[in-house]
Amino acid sequence: MKISYFILFGFLLILVLFSITTWINFRQAERVNENNEFYSRSTTTVRNSNRFQRNILNMVSGLRGYLFTGENYFIQAYDSAARENENILRELSSLVPENSSQGKTLKEIQALNSRWINEFGEPLKNAKTLAGTSDSSLVAFNKLYREKLINPAERNINRALQAKFRDFANYEYDLREQRRQVLTESIAETRKISISLTTLSIVLGLAIAIYLALRISNRIMQMVKMADNIAAGNYESHAVSSGKDELSQLAQSLNHMSKVLSENISLLKRKNEELDQFAHIVSHDLKAPLRGIDNVVTWIEEDHLEELSPKVKEYIGLIRGRLVRSENLIKGILSYARVGREQPEKEMVDLSQLFVDVLENMPVRNGIQVRLPQKLPMVYTERIPLQQVLSNLIGNAIKYHDKAAGKITIDFSNEKTHYVFTVSDDGPGISNHYFEKIFMIFQTLNERDTIESTGVGLAIVKKILDDRKQTITLHSSPGQGATFTFTWPK
Amino acid sequence: MDKVINILMIEDDSLDVRDAQRTLDKMSVLYKMQVARNGEEALAYLREAGESASFMRPDIVLLDLNMPKMNGAEFLHAVRNSDQWKDLKIFVITTSDEKEDRQKVKDLGVSGYIVKPLKFNNPSSIDSFNLMIDIMNIKNRI
Repeated sequence: MKISYFILFGFLLILVLFSITTWINFRQAERVNENNEFYSRSTTTVRNSNRFQRNILNMVSGLRGYLFTGENYFIQAYDSAARENENILRELSSLVPENSSQGKTLKEIQALNSRWINEFGEPLKNAKTLAGTSDSSLVAFNKLYREKLINPAERNINRALQAKFRDFANYEYDLREQRRQVLTESIAETRKISISLTTLSIVLGLAIAIYLALRISNRIMQMVKMADNIAAGNYESHAVSSGKDELSQLAQSLNHMSKVLSENISLLKRKNEELDQFAHIVSHDLKAPLRGIDNVVTWIEEDHLEELSPKVKEYIGLIRGRLVRSENLIKGILSYARVGREQPEKEMVDLSQLFVDVLENMPVRNGIQVRLPQKLPMVYTERIPLQQVLSNLIGNAIKYHDKAAGKITIDFSNEKTHYVFTVSDDGPGISNHYFEKIFMIFQTLNERDTIESTGVGLAIVKKILDDRKQTITLHSSPGQGATFTFTWPK
Repeated sequence: MDKVINILMIEDDSLDVRDAQRTLDKMSVLYKMQVARNGEEALAYLREAGESASFMRPDIVLLDLNMPKMNGAEFLHAVRNSDQWKDLKIFVITTSDEKEDRQKVKDLGVSGYIVKPLKFNNPSSIDSFNLMIDIMNIKNRI
């Protein structure tokens, strides 16, 4: 799976989990709200039922008070309680669902209440009001009073009403308790689900992060290593590319790159080898006819010297000179081609001794003085190429010096990562036009007839240094001498 | 009294043949020379010489390395693998002064390695050549 898809999928999953958690919590909040509403409704119901009961007592006592005393004060209390109860019943029936057991109870209560009012309350009250107007009415009242009030039915209704209301309230309390328990459980449940979902999201997030980190960083490190390998010249390096994600594509690109590089490098190596071989073969094949000419010239000189006129002798001398030049050129090609063919081993080199060896092989020129640094260390390095570079540079300084007396100064410094050698002379100097040209093979700055040179020396120096990724710089101007500075690997 | 030395020279450059002859003359060596221009010709000649008495049997071979058809190294291989000529004294005479070339023929058993040109002012070539003459003389005395 692609890494971007994986990240997207992971975050979507976490998002979904959090959404579920939020939804569950939201639903729980609704449930709590609902319960609050129920609770306030329930409180109203209970309060109303209590008031109703109290009102009944008030009605009973009001009625009785009135019956005994005839005081209007009592009938007022009775009336207001009756009115209030009517309101309470109306309100209760709006609060309680009609078909529930409570609704039924409420209907029974209503029926009992109406019965009490219609059968006992209102007739007695009306009879008492009329009692004062005539004797017959008083008789009728007394009769009614005995019938109704002494009759236990009135008390029964009253008691039944009280009992019903107790039931009604108790039912409400039970309901409340049940609801409270359900709510507590659902809160606990919600908390549990929320915590587990949140934990799951966190764990999932962490797992995704860790998986990604491991999966990405391991492979990136592998590719970094591969790139390092390639930089170090190991073009066969290969990165494992399993899967089909972006990193695998990168690995495949890297592999492709290293393959192409490897092919190109081996092609380049082969071409170089071919070129070296070519130089080798060409120079040998060139040598043969030249040697033939040389042989014949030798025979003439050795066997027929007396027969030659001075002019012919001079011409033979010219032929000889060009033969020597050709041979030097061929030697130059050969030694240039040979650079890098051999892999010299590193050894302990006493630099003082190295300079002694170099100077011993130099052509002697009186008046030219070579100054070496006072103290030179022992270094562990490839001796032969270093000796060749130094002897070519010093050799050039001596060979091209244009004055009778001159000075060549060698400097050496030991840097952190490499050595630095400097060869300076007070010879003719070189115009900066030629700074690049002089390092090319067969390039000389002197006409061939003035100084015999092949133009190979500095090309060899450059090739040796290039092979080792070292640099050479030249500071010079005509008449000011020349200073060659080159670095050498540690 | 010097005996005539029979030399088989395997060399494709006639100038080099003349050079060798001239050097031998200058050294007053009595010799007879048969020339083959490459390894194949030389092998063919050796076959004839092995069978017929009218062909000169070489005391010594001067062998160039760089030749067409069959070069010196191939010729050496062929000779060292034959029963009749495996002890033949062979001197390599070549322009190459490379270490590799010297080592290659040394492994194939040569009596000497002479670097051309044969010059009296080129001591190494003449030393080898003198050595060759010495070896031949010693053989002659026996």
